[in-house]
Amino acid sequence: MTDAPSTIAERSAEVLVRSTPTVIARRVRGLSDRAIAWLFITPTIALLLAINIFPLIWAVYLSFTNFRANRPNAEITGVGLRNYQRVLNDPDIWIAMQTTAHFVFWTILLQTVIGFSLAYLIDRKFRGHAFWTTVILIPMMLSPAVVGNFWRFLYQPQIGLFNYIVSYFSGIPPSSFEMLGSVSLAPWAIIIVDTWMWTPYVMLICLAGLRSIPDYIYEAAEVDRASAWRQFWSITVPMALPFIMLAVLFRGIENFKMFDMVMLLTGGGPGSTTEVASITLKREAFESWLTGRSSAFAIILFVAVFGLANIYVKALNKVKQR
Amino acid sequence: MAEVILHGIAKTFGDAAAVDDLSLTIKDGEFVVLLGPTGAGKTTTLRLIAGLERPDKGRVTIAGADVGRQSPAERDIAFVFQQYSLYPHLSVYDNLAFPLRSPARRLSSDEVDHRVREVARMVRIDHKLENRSTRLSGGEMQRVAIGRALVRRPAIYLMDEPLSSLDAKLRAELRLELKRIQKDLNSTLLYVTHDQVEAMTMADRIGILSEGRLIQVGTPREIYADPANLHVAARLGQPHINLLPVDLLPGASAPTGARTVGARTEHLEIATAGAANAEVDWIEHLGDQNHLHIRVEGHKIVTLADPYLSVKPGDRVSLTLKQPLYFGTDGERLR
Ligand SMILES: Nc1ncnc2c1ncn2[C@@H]1O[C@H](COP(=O)(O)OP(=O)(O)OP(=O)(O)O)[C@@H](O)[C@H]1O
Ligand SMILES: [Mg+2]
Repeated sequence: MTDAPSTIAERSAEVLVRSTPTVIARRVRGLSDRAIAWLFITPTIALLLAINIFPLIWAVYLSFTNFRANRPNAEITGVGLRNYQRVLNDPDIWIAMQTTAHFVFWTILLQTVIGFSLAYLIDRKFRGHAFWTTVILIPMMLSPAVVGNFWRFLYQPQIGLFNYIVSYFSGIPPSSFEMLGSVSLAPWAIIIVDTWMWTPYVMLICLAGLRSIPDYIYEAAEVDRASAWRQFWSITVPMALPFIMLAVLFRGIENFKMFDMVMLLTGGGPGSTTEVASITLKREAFESWLTGRSSAFAIILFVAVFGLANIYVKALNKVKQR
Repeated sequence: MAEVILHGIAKTFGDAAAVDDLSLTIKDGEFVVLLGPTGAGKTTTLRLIAGLERPDKGRVTIAGADVGRQSPAERDIAFVFQQYSLYPHLSVYDNLAFPLRSPARRLSSDEVDHRVREVARMVRIDHKLENRSTRLSGGEMQRVAIGRALVRRPAIYLMDEPLSSLDAKLRAELRLELKRIQKDLNSTLLYVTHDQVEAMTMADRIGILSEGRLIQVGTPREIYADPANLHVAARLGQPHINLLPVDLLPGASAPTGARTVGARTEHLEIATAGAANAEVDWIEHLGDQNHLHIRVEGHKIVTLADPYLSVKPGDRVSLTLKQPLYFGTDGERLR
């Protein structure tokens, strides 16, 4: 190592080595680049293994057993695929899956339509658009716990602002309906809150998409005599589509596992009308203590989300490559 | 096709004047080239005509009608943008068909197909019709952009350096092709470039633009042989015009007030015999012709030379002026 270090990287590495205590420096100098790289990433990998990969593998193992976490000393016996069979044949779980699908569908639909419309308006760069962007983003920045409790108040039949506003516009007395207590309204109560909180997120991604369309494309279209309507459908939408699809993917995955908002607002009730898959899972795991069976359920959910997301990402890449 | 007139248009960005009191008439069926260095306001002028920019002052009339209040779509113009502006998510075919599919045009899909294929052949892009427009080379994109303008029959074509990223051979071909198309259709065309060869070969008239001002307008011959000032003279001619002090070389009969002599190849006579006043510095061989670099008392002169002229670096030659151009202290031409 007699050659003078040439590149900036080498030089700064040299400086770093010089300022390291000699004992360490001597050791490090003896290591190859590859060894040093491993030295840096090993702690991270170890941590990931400990808190992500190991529990995952452990859950896979438990899903084939009759283990119950409230009886840690009982003997664990393998049950083969029986847990999986039970889960897939359980009508309650299928109902929970349907409820989840219903939530995912409506939240995505509402959030995409409203989010894209807001992004489209803000992209017009009217006066004060920066201010309004910030205001719109506020719900997203709040903690779900705050949002949940806050909306519980809004939904209060006697004093809630939500009921009051609905009654103001529709003339129905405010205490005549309970958003969280009624079987038909409770799912919508949750969809409304989730939409209120996460539409800004979708809007932000759509806005990035709209901003990525250069002005001169619109100028060319204008000169080519494309109407505003045609410009929207033949330029704006197709060019922003990969971004919209990305937002849908993020929200889809997120809402498939939706837990906090449901727990805070209805706890799955009334009855089991808002019991989404993750709530059922929590019940099986920590109320019935069927750890083995709930592990099987969790893995089925994981595979389902993973599979759907993969198919979707393939479609997304196809759109992007067009 | 229509006559387009600019009446003293001006446009400032911030406090920099991009276009300054520009008046120009582009006659029906005329091919006008705006020639100017980068930042001269060429693109801005086209955008003002297209209605993509509003003038601060002045008026634009197309076919006799003031278009000040009309949107770009209403003005019936076709524009080839400097940065191509293709629709990236569409194929070449759909890019070319886009202007024709405007509901206002009501063309049948057979007609659209016919026009698209015809134009694709003209601009040599017919073998790539199904390609996505993002999967093209810069030159191919540029040809699609030209094609997208040519599918239409507008009042005026506006073209912003449409051949700038093509190779020399294709550029020469398309130059001829574009000129031929323009003649055949008898279309009105305003073409922007900083390439003097394009200007000289295609234009019916050239407008020389500098810092937002139109300095001189005329036929290529007029602009070349009879430049209004130093700036115009310096823009045309290959190699560049040599600017020398009046009394450097013999043969000048300068009018009073002349400060600078402009001498192109045709204004210089080189003789190997006689009283030598210059020395050959070096010779650039360009193939069909040579650039001769000559030094006279510390001034460098570049001129075209017959490849058979037998001189070599270090030779002394005699240099005489032959009816050169004279310019005053302000750079204006003196006759
Ligand atoms: N949108 C704009 N905002 C601010 N300044 C601008 C804008 N467009 C053009 N300019 C300025 O106006 C002047 C003329 O610009 P223009 O684009 O017309 O030049 P050009 O002759 O087309 O140059 P080039 O050959 O490089 O394309 C430049 O100094 C440029 O900086
Ligand atoms: Mg330009």
